[in-house]
Amino acid sequence: MTPGLSAGARPPCAGTVREGITASLALVPSVFVYGTVFGGLAVQSGLTMAQVLGMSVLVFAGASQFVAVPMLATGAPAVAIIVTTYVVNMRHYLMAATLAPSFRGFRRAWLALIAHVINDESFAIAVARSRPPDAWIYLGSALAICGAFTGGVVVGVSVGGLVERPERYGLDFAFPAVFLALVAVQLRRRADWLVAVGAAVVAVALALVLPGNWHIVVTGLVVSAVAAWVLPLDDVDPRDARAA
Amino acid sequence: MRSDVWLVIIGMAVATYLTRAPMFLALARRPLPPRVRLWLRLVPLAVLPALAVPLVLVRDGRLALGWTNPALWGAAVVFVLAAWRVNLLASVAIAVAVVALLRTLA
Repeated sequence: MTPGLSAGARPPCAGTVREGITASLALVPSVFVYGTVFGGLAVQSGLTMAQVLGMSVLVFAGASQFVAVPMLATGAPAVAIIVTTYVVNMRHYLMAATLAPSFRGFRRAWLALIAHVINDESFAIAVARSRPPDAWIYLGSALAICGAFTGGVVVGVSVGGLVERPERYGLDFAFPAVFLALVAVQLRRRADWLVAVGAAVVAVALALVLPGNWHIVVTGLVVSAVAAWVLPLDDVDPRDARAA
Repeated sequence: MRSDVWLVIIGMAVATYLTRAPMFLALARRPLPPRVRLWLRLVPLAVLPALAVPLVLVRDGRLALGWTNPALWGAAVVFVLAAWRVNLLASVAIAVAVVALLRTLA
């Protein structure tokens, strides 16, 4: 019997998986706290513990989950939340395309499962280690990041319900604060500033006229598409895929 | 809380899986066209400000640009700290504390 994971690929290498886990340890505390903050704020916003955990396991994409919670709480239409989730997570296409060739020879059932744990941190670690990225390093890292995030969410939902009147502590502001921090660390080139500032202006204008939070999706797609069309193709390194 | 939360969660899960699985299962060796890669790189840079800035500047369907808007100060603090490469969660925590303080004083 061949071991389940690989059929024809080089054999699974426990040492390499361990290397992926070790390489991720530096990120584990912040991913854990990120999960804790998400779990706490989501429970505060009125989701049940089961809903918060369910979302974290089934969606497993922190930034889009942060996006969805205030939208759920303020009564945005279901379709608007789902489409916004899709747009926030579109960066996965880039990561999936970059990782895919390293996973040739894996069984399709495993590929379908591994696809679900594609995440910014593990992608960054695997790509920083080697080009093309190593499949087993990536898997080790994904294991560590999944564990850290889910563990953080479990702690967060347990603790989050204890705080009364969260707006008194400015906790509702944590949502825009997380988004702004994620933007600030991505601004490297002049073009990045143009896109971010342009999107901010367009979004505020649209938010004043469009109902149901549609300004987020419309701005995100249109401003990025226009920019990608007109900007020079200076540097589109796949490492830049890591984002939110 | 509304009654369609689980429906939204399932929808989010399907939408997110559709961003991960197709390219991964295709195992394509050929990279995406450069303009498409640039676009995918820029999407988060457009989405995140589109999310955050109206949350800070728009209150009840109107612009709140006055200096008495605590969120405006919190936004400036978190942006500058994160741009200085202060740890992301520390930046957020400090900004949240600033907003809480300003609300208490108001």
